[in-house]
Amino acid sequence: MAEPRRLTDVELEGALRDLGPRYPYPPTPNLAAAVRRRIVARPVMPVRRLALWRDPRRLALAAAAVLVLAGAAALINPTTRNAIAHFFHVPGVIVSRVSPLPSLSPVTPLDLGRRTTMADAQSTVSFPIAVPSSLGTPDAVYVDSGLPGGEVALAYMPRPGIPLVKQTGLGVLITEFRGDLIPGFLTKEVGPSTTLEETSVNGNPGWWIAGAPHVVVTRIGEMDYPVSLRMAANTLIWEHGGVTYRIESGLSKADAFRIAAGLP
Amino acid sequence: MEGRPLDDLALVERARTGDVNAYEALVQQYQQLAYRVAYQVTRDAADAEDAAQEAFVNAYYALGRFRAGAPFKPWLCRIVANEARNRRMAAHRRTALAERAHQAQASGEAAPSPEAAAEAGEFRAALVETLGRLREDDRLILSYRLFFDFSEADMAEALKVPKGTVKSRLSRALSRLRAALPADFQLPSGGAQWLSLGA
Repeated sequence: MAEPRRLTDVELEGALRDLGPRYPYPPTPNLAAAVRRRIVARPVMPVRRLALWRDPRRLALAAAAVLVLAGAAALINPTTRNAIAHFFHVPGVIVSRVSPLPSLSPVTPLDLGRRTTMADAQSTVSFPIAVPSSLGTPDAVYVDSGLPGGEVALAYMPRPGIPLVKQTGLGVLITEFRGDLIPGFLTKEVGPSTTLEETSVNGNPGWWIAGAPHVVVTRIGEMDYPVSLRMAANTLIWEHGGVTYRIESGLSKADAFRIAAGLP
Repeated sequence: MEGRPLDDLALVERARTGDVNAYEALVQQYQQLAYRVAYQVTRDAADAEDAAQEAFVNAYYALGRFRAGAPFKPWLCRIVANEARNRRMAAHRRTALAERAHQAQASGEAAPSPEAAAEAGEFRAALVETLGRLREDDRLILSYRLFFDFSEADMAEALKVPKGTVKSRLSRALSRLRAALPADFQLPSGGAQWLSLGA
C-alpha cells in the first residue's frame, strides 16, 4: 500500500490560514474595565536606567550629582535617603521608591525556572550554589538557564517557626544569580508603607525590605518590558563575589539574618 | 479589532502621560488579539484571561520603557506571551478537558450539512488537536504568522529574535507540525480549491 502523500509547506500554510478565523477560541472577555480598575492615572516617565549603567561617565556624573543632592536633602528630611534609594544599589538590584505601587494580584506565579536536582542546578549555573546551614536541604530546587550565569532558587516549605508567605506559597525562598553580569535584573518597587533599610550582610552591602509587600520586576539585558512582576514579602538581599543572594520570607529581620549567616 | 499604527502611537503617547482613557482605548483595540495569543500559550480560557489582563496592567506600567515610535502590537504580544507562559507553567493540567469541550463545540458549529463541510470540519479539528500537542513556541510562531498575519518584523519583535531567524524558525515549526500530524492526514476533497492556497 502506498504511503499517503505528506502535505507540502504551501498546503500546510494554506490549511492554517484557513483555520485561523475558524479556530475554536473561547469568547474574548471584556478586559478593558478590569484593567482600568487596576491601573492608576499617573504619568509614566521614560526610564533610561540601562543606558546610564552602561556609560561609566554618565553614571559617575549622575552619582556625584545625587550625592550632593542627597547630602543637602538629608539635612532637611531624614527620610530622604529612601526617596533616592535606587542609586545606591546591590549589584543586580535596583531599588526604587514609587508611589503609588502598581496594583497587582497578591499572588502571581513565581516563574522560578525548571524544577531540578541540586546537582543539575550546580552544573547549570556559573557560580557555587550556597545552601544555608540553618535550613538544610531545600524542599525543591529550580534553575533558570535563560539569564547570564543562570539563576537558582531554593524553596523551603513552611514549618514550625517558618510561616507561610502568601505571595510565594512557601516558607522561605532563596534565589542566587550573577548580579555582576545583569546589572538591572531585579528592580524592587517599594511603596510608602514598606520599610527600606540599607544594611550590611556578612560584611557585604545589602538591603532589608519589609512591611507592606513590594513589587519585584525581573528584566534581562535590553528587554524593554518587565519579564515578570509580582508582589514579594520581607526580603534580605546582598551581593558577595559577583553573586547576588536574596532571601524572601515572612520572618523578622533577625531571623532572616540568621539564615544569611550560613551563606557567603 | 486592531488599531492602525498611527492611532497606536498617539494613544501610547497619551497613555504615557497618565491618560487612562487612551490606554483603555488601546486595551479595547487589542484585547481580542491579546486574549488569543495568551490562549495559544495556555490552552485554558481562565488562564488566558488572567494572563491577558495582567499583561495589559504590566504593559501600562512599562510604557515608560517602551521605545517611542516602535510598534505597540508586537511589544504588547511579547508581554502577553510571557505572562501566559508564567501562567501555563504554574497551572495544573486542566487544559485537556477544556480543549476537548471547545473542539466538540466547534465541530458541532462547523458542520452545516454537505459532506465536504463535515470533512473540512474534521480536517480542522485534527489540525487544532495537533497544534495543541506542539511546543508552545512553535504554536506561537505559527499563530503570529498564519492566524494573526504578523509581518516578519512584527514577529521578530514579538518573539524577541533577530529578523533573519524568523523564516527558519517558522519553517522548523511547520516541519514539526507536519511530523506531528496523523500519518493519514490529507487535505479534504477539493483540497487546494477548498483551501485559499497562495493567498
